[in-house]
Amino acid sequence: MDVQRIMQVVDASFAARQSIEKSLREIDRRALNAMVLVKRHGNALAGYGVVAQAFRERAASLKESASHLQETIAPLIHAHMRILQHQRFVTSFDTMIQAMAQYGLVCASLNNTQSQWQKIITQEETDARKILLRLIAAVDALQEGIEEQEYVVTNGRIEAALAEGTGAPLMRVSRDMGEAVRTVSNVIRTYRHQLESLEHESSTHI
Amino acid sequence: MKAAPIFEAGSHRWWILYDQDEHRVIDSNVYVMESNGQSLILDPGGFEIFPQVFAALVEVVPPSSLKAAFVSHQDPDIASSLPLWHGCNEQIQWHIPKLWEGFIRHYGALEAPLQGIPDEGGDMLIGGRRLEFIPAHYLHSSANFHVYDPEAKVLFSGDVGAALLPPGHGAWVDCRDKTGRAFEEHITEAKYFHERWMPSNAAKKDWINRVSKLKIDYLCPQHGAIYRGDNVQRFLDWFDGLNVGTAINE
Repeated sequence: MDVQRIMQVVDASFAARQSIEKSLREIDRRALNAMVLVKRHGNALAGYGVVAQAFRERAASLKESASHLQETIAPLIHAHMRILQHQRFVTSFDTMIQAMAQYGLVCASLNNTQSQWQKIITQEETDARKILLRLIAAVDALQEGIEEQEYVVTNGRIEAALAEGTGAPLMRVSRDMGEAVRTVSNVIRTYRHQLESLEHESSTHI
Repeated sequence: MKAAPIFEAGSHRWWILYDQDEHRVIDSNVYVMESNGQSLILDPGGFEIFPQVFAALVEVVPPSSLKAAFVSHQDPDIASSLPLWHGCNEQIQWHIPKLWEGFIRHYGALEAPLQGIPDEGGDMLIGGRRLEFIPAHYLHSSANFHVYDPEAKVLFSGDVGAALLPPGHGAWVDCRDKTGRAFEEHITEAKYFHERWMPSNAAKKDWINRVSKLKIDYLCPQHGAIYRGDNVQRFLDWFDGLNVGTAINE
């Protein structure tokens, strides 16, 4: 396990989580603005109202998916820190074994204990990889949600183009929605690349 | 372990990480202060609870923001995780009582950058903010420091104020009840700890005189729960009247 690589992923997880939470709040706010605009114009914008409502519902669903993401990040970090802790034991035993070898001494039980810890670490690395795969699946679910949201934004743009008179403010709202969705989409894509590269390294190692 | 905010003003924040999941070792609180994107961890905890402390820490700050660590004294529940933190981030500057340096090195990480705090105390800068190291010698360790943040009015008080609470405990001593009943209930869990682990009435008086000059909104012990509002003064009054060092001072 490369500790610095794990630290990079932990940092990336923190940044991604913050960015996703902020963007989702923004998406929710934009959806609410759109609904207010629709209410203000009554039946004339009923079509856009359906879109705004769908946008808001999707935003709530994305929040739900993002919370599952966090539930998986914490166990992954925990698992890797446990491995780091146990590697410390292996290193200590190794130092002892080498120090004794300098005096021509061999302690079989010390070698045995070290190899037991090594086995534990190997198992923990396998478990950590399973958690990582679960995390990647959670990121995929979030990504799918974002793609659906992008579709809703496109529908919004069409409705806005069709709306006579009030088209301009609706277009602005749709553009803002699109930007908020694009931001979170970029963050998730970058984060997924980082997780994939960790998964590649860990599968090679195991 | 859970993370809860204590203080927040713009980019200046304090958190507590508390209620650890491992119950075979003494339950410890870990504190994190962040200022302008740089963070400090206070009494980062024992080797055994490191994974859960780390996982709770990264709920509130990114690990790359961690620039410094403070160690109030030499005990294993305070600092035996040092080599693991150092393994994660070799840039962390460790502020430790100078008297304990050679002892703390026994935990490993011989090359970790340790900054010895002299007996008279001192200060440090983190993210442009100054924190003071307040001497608290013999409470309970012979070289012991607390940390005061004059802007947030947070006093990290190490073992002073500690209480042995059951799993699932909260982060705060309830201060909504103005009669102080909640404090009275809480302090029964703190009494034996102070009587037995604090060795010197003279040291206790010296500390009370010192901290009474500070404006404290949050008194944050390393075990138990945080005192705020009226409970801070209630605690200082209670501690002042307590006979400590009871293994010999009955």
